[in-house]
Amino acid sequence: MTRNDDAKAAHLAAVGTALPGEPVDNTTLGRLLGVSEEWIDIFVGTRARYFAWDLETGEVRRTLVDLCAEAGARALESAGLEPADIEFVVLSTATPDTLLPTTATQVADRLGLDHLPVFQLQAGCSGAVQTLDLGRSLLAGGAGAGLVLGGDVTARHLDVRRDPARMPTEELVNYVLFGDGAGAAVLTAEPLGERLALRGVLNSFAGLGRPAGQTVDWYGVSDRLSERPMLAEDYKAIEERVPAMAVEIFWELLDRVGWSTADVDHLLPPQLSERMTARIVEHMAVPSAHEVSCVSDTGNTGNALPFLQLERLLPQFGTGQRAIGVTVESSKWIKTGFALEKV
Amino acid sequence: MAGHDQAARPDQAAPDPQPGPPPEHDRDLAVVGLDCAFPSAVGADAYWDLLMRGGEAVGEVPESRWTADDLPAAVRDAHRTALLRGGFLADVDRFDNDFFALAPREAAAMDPQQRLLLQCAWRALEDSGRSPADLAGTDTGVFVGVMGGEWGRLRMADPAQVSPQLGAGSSAGMTANRISYHLNLTGPSLAVDTACSSSLVAVHLAGNALLSGECDTALAGGVNLLLTPALGLVYSQLGLASPDGRCKPFSADADGIGRSDGVGLVVLRRLADAVADGQRVYAVIKGTAVNQDGRSNGVTAPNRWSQQKVLQAAYRRAGVTPGEISFLEAHGTGTALGDAIECAALGAVHGVERERPCAIGSVKGNLGHTEGAAGIAGLIKTVLALHHRIVPASRFADRENPRLRLSERGLRLLKSPLRLPPGPVTAGVSSFGMGGTNAHAVLASAPRTAARAGTRQNGAAGVFTMTADSPEGLGRNLAAQAEAIARRPRGSATALCRSSNRVKTGLPYRYAVTARDTEELAGRLRRAAEDGTGGHAQRPWTKPVVAFLFTGQGSQFPAMTAGLHRESAVYRRHLAEADAALAPYVGGSIRDLVLRGDEAVRETGPAQPALFAVGYALAATLGELGVQPAAVIGHSVGEFAAAVLAGVLDLGRAAELVATRASLMQQLPAGGGMLTVRSAPAGLAGLLADRPELTVAAVNGPADVVLSGPVAALEHAERELAGSGVRTSRMEVSHAFHSPRMAPAVEAFRTAAEAVRPGVPQLPIASTRYGGMLGDRPMDADYWAGQLAEPVLFDDALGALVDEVAPTHLVEIGPRPHLLQLAGRSGRAAGTEFLHPSPGPEATGRDLAEVVAALYRAGLDPQWSALYPPDLPAPERLRPYVFATANRFWGCAPAHRAAPVHDAAPAHHSAPAHRPAPVRPAPAPGSPVEDPVVAVVIEAVLEVGGYAPELVSPTARFYEDLGFDSVMIMQLKDAVEARLPQAGEVSIHQLLPALRSVTSLAELYGELVTARAA
Repeated sequence: MTRNDDAKAAHLAAVGTALPGEPVDNTTLGRLLGVSEEWIDIFVGTRARYFAWDLETGEVRRTLVDLCAEAGARALESAGLEPADIEFVVLSTATPDTLLPTTATQVADRLGLDHLPVFQLQAGCSGAVQTLDLGRSLLAGGAGAGLVLGGDVTARHLDVRRDPARMPTEELVNYVLFGDGAGAAVLTAEPLGERLALRGVLNSFAGLGRPAGQTVDWYGVSDRLSERPMLAEDYKAIEERVPAMAVEIFWELLDRVGWSTADVDHLLPPQLSERMTARIVEHMAVPSAHEVSCVSDTGNTGNALPFLQLERLLPQFGTGQRAIGVTVESSKWIKTGFALEKV
Repeated sequence: MAGHDQAARPDQAAPDPQPGPPPEHDRDLAVVGLDCAFPSAVGADAYWDLLMRGGEAVGEVPESRWTADDLPAAVRDAHRTALLRGGFLADVDRFDNDFFALAPREAAAMDPQQRLLLQCAWRALEDSGRSPADLAGTDTGVFVGVMGGEWGRLRMADPAQVSPQLGAGSSAGMTANRISYHLNLTGPSLAVDTACSSSLVAVHLAGNALLSGECDTALAGGVNLLLTPALGLVYSQLGLASPDGRCKPFSADADGIGRSDGVGLVVLRRLADAVADGQRVYAVIKGTAVNQDGRSNGVTAPNRWSQQKVLQAAYRRAGVTPGEISFLEAHGTGTALGDAIECAALGAVHGVERERPCAIGSVKGNLGHTEGAAGIAGLIKTVLALHHRIVPASRFADRENPRLRLSERGLRLLKSPLRLPPGPVTAGVSSFGMGGTNAHAVLASAPRTAARAGTRQNGAAGVFTMTADSPEGLGRNLAAQAEAIARRPRGSATALCRSSNRVKTGLPYRYAVTARDTEELAGRLRRAAEDGTGGHAQRPWTKPVVAFLFTGQGSQFPAMTAGLHRESAVYRRHLAEADAALAPYVGGSIRDLVLRGDEAVRETGPAQPALFAVGYALAATLGELGVQPAAVIGHSVGEFAAAVLAGVLDLGRAAELVATRASLMQQLPAGGGMLTVRSAPAGLAGLLADRPELTVAAVNGPADVVLSGPVAALEHAERELAGSGVRTSRMEVSHAFHSPRMAPAVEAFRTAAEAVRPGVPQLPIASTRYGGMLGDRPMDADYWAGQLAEPVLFDDALGALVDEVAPTHLVEIGPRPHLLQLAGRSGRAAGTEFLHPSPGPEATGRDLAEVVAALYRAGLDPQWSALYPPDLPAPERLRPYVFATANRFWGCAPAHRAAPVHDAAPAHHSAPAHRPAPVRPAPAPGSPVEDPVVAVVIEAVLEVGGYAPELVSPTARFYEDLGFDSVMIMQLKDAVEARLPQAGEVSIHQLLPALRSVTSLAELYGELVTARAA
């Protein structure tokens, strides 16, 4: 018997994603950054990523709203639902197009949604799971269906027109690590579409007293000339803590839903980078579970990652099978994860 | 009337489930399309936007309608303001008469209500997901509510000005009949006047006609245009006119009626039919009822008891109880008495035990009272609310009239939008007429179609089509589609393309483009719209004449047509057929060998069956798409698939022959080869004389020859030709095909083909063995045996084909272009378009779509469904047709200026719809016409039709180009004869054959003048 951690059921009916333009391979990126392909391969392992802005000119081709609307429309279409069926929207991002109006409300407008609660969460890698957590509560509160989304764009935080030779290595890493993308899922109270029952969600801040592992900064009118880095990571702390936190999340989720490791058919591990993900999976030691990862083909797309993983999971997710997704947000250390069962 | 039948039945909550009337779901009607125009809200989207933002449409009366001077002096000042305000549609004088092939003079004589309805009907039908042209000739019914006869009163008042055009243009019945005439709809067609309930009664009658099987589709709605202050004066005298020209329904400030313009139509079908046809359903009409006050408290007074009865009758018919009604679109005129009586009636019916009060509102708060269109305004509002699952707030609800005691009556006036809960929702619409005819309709949310779980659109290539009556119309509509599609989130364009094929076809000027996703599609449409050259518009006069060219050996390559195979279900099916037919003779799946990219396909043994399979499947795929060749030609082994398509060989027999042929040829000793030479055959005479072991294997063009023979001899020839500057290239073949060296295979193949009993070709075949049309020569064992060793006379055969059928398009059937290049170099098919459904290793389903798009532009009407995956999602609604607005017709123009009032001379008069467009002006505008009789006829035509002079050329045709009808013919006869008395009177009998064009008519009169002068 499965013990659900929530009496009210929530289900994923469909997933949609959007990746802008053509994939950018390491050859292209290496040429622009003046670094070797091997360097990217050894340090990061990511093979391709997508950018919503023109690498040569920096011109923004697709906004986060564009990407989220595309992903949301695909999810709605896959679920066979009309905009009128959607009763709430939750969108998570670290990189909104504007502070106001929120990307979430702009996306609602593009999708023809009106007169419904629209939330925007500010988060990083944990954001997608946070949307599931909030969405689940809204369903428990009586809603029949809702749309959750996550996405990030790098246009404001990366600029290949800067002289890469002058960039310190820790900054250069950002250019090969991240990518742009968005994902969405339709949540329903009743099983519908893909019929993935959300058996459990873990969403827990665990950073009391710990320095941030990642900082994503922004400038305004008063400090726009500041020289401080827009993106900064404490790679040492990340390499040390994330694998351990991932293992904790995995076990905590199993405990919540009453599954054993043998019950887990698919594992969606954190997608920091190809190299880091491999280390984490090794650390988690669930060899029986089939790993579903995307980072080597998409780069780290932040809030979009779990949706991209879910989309890859769907074709191979058999009825009765179970999946565990684990994400760790290393900014101020947030533990998140989810347990799914196809019914 | 139905209301009486219902009233006679005993009151009961639900219909008797026993045998009798059909089950309730069989009586459900679907609203599948709609269009409307209300003041400051033209189109359904704008109307919804007006409702959702609580907007208002009331303003000052435009001077073109009436002015303060038109009001009787006796009207008191307090009432004057009311009579100078209302809701007025802008630009009601603008009308796309050319689209409907209406002569300007006739358009100018038409009640603008008729003009508005014509455009509205076209757009509503498009919105229902079908091309209006597809409905031509069907029993589609038209039911129009209309209560204003003001146009006729204004225009016909002076008997001296009466004309047949004005007669037809002023009749109320013609509002419906015009639609039936111009769209060629043959079902019931009638105008309904029950005063302010007219358009909801029209919907009721349309529903009954559908349920009784009188028609399968119905247009229903109404129209209202305020042309005079007369009815306003009546309201004013009855004390019913609101001083500020606004209706304030159920408000404490309610002080009477403000009048408004409006037009609206819905497209109705029986729900089961709509679902079966895959149409999108906005909402369901579950039942309607109509009754009369009878002898009530004055002929114009509302009657509470009758209102209650009509509600109850409608609920009985619909099989619902009042407690199930979530919200009501009330009549709600905003008169103190009317509101009180309506609320009493609503309360008596709906004040039952219920979970939450029944929400009420009235669109008259936004629009004012649209009278003849009031019922349809409320119905469309309700339909859209059920569709969007949100009910707009009722304007002026914030100051609810406490004397209506709404909450005690189980009612709630909507002060803010009401989001409808998930699941089925039921709603009602009321409309009451001044004369006591009451109507009510019960609506419900559309049934959910079973969601296709996990449907993933991979963005299959589709063809987006658009048609219009003129190049300008095409550009205008492409721009509108581009704008609407660009606003959508990016996604697959497949369903949009499929919907455009259903809806946006049928007009003379065609546009078609392939697309996979919406962003790409929007960009392509926008670029086409911005292309001022009009190069995107094609106006086919005939169907394309297509020849299929089946490629021979040498064109094969590993994984050929794999891209198409991935994307086209139809191609997959036909390739599987060919594969199954070949399997017994090749000992396995030739399809699998091809698709897995096996290099073995380069060898003769597998190459010939593989090419046969691909050729057969490509041709069959095109056939399923509606592309039928007028003639076929096959190069060498390509003749087998061509013979199958022409019905000479059946698939199984041809497969056996091809497999045998390939095997025999493969088994011949190697050592031979082939050399292509860019030279005329005559130029090789010397070389061939010196080297008798070399022979001509193919004459592919005037300077395209293939030599066959031993390798050593070919090498020698290669050097010699290079020395004299002739380009050559060695072919990748293992044998000297089409040469005497094939002799050992010839006899064996003749024996193998002995049993062939060739059928009579169903299509002209150009034979590359004979270098000409096959004619009645049989494709028997001798033919196929000889074909193997004799030269391929492609050039001569292609020439014969071109002479025989004069193709407009050559379509190569093979895995990459080869024969098209030969045809191009030969100059044999100058002026024809070359198409290839799978032009090389990079080809995908998009290339097939490009072929279909090109042939559609050229006049083919394809079987579109074969282009798309079978599991397409529901059709998409496309923005309806955008009509031209350049031509203006207005005013109580007396006959002496019956010509249209063109505010600016339209740059270009467009061609009439769904009729061949005029051959564009033969003489330049203004150039003098030489023949005086022609000049007289033109003058008369201009008088009768009121055309812009530059549009009437000597070649203009009366019916197709000028939109003449029998009335205009009689007027023309009079006008010509008045100018040419010397011709004498012409009988209709004499006239009719000459009524083709201006010139043909002038010839008749010219002859008569000459004859009488003699």
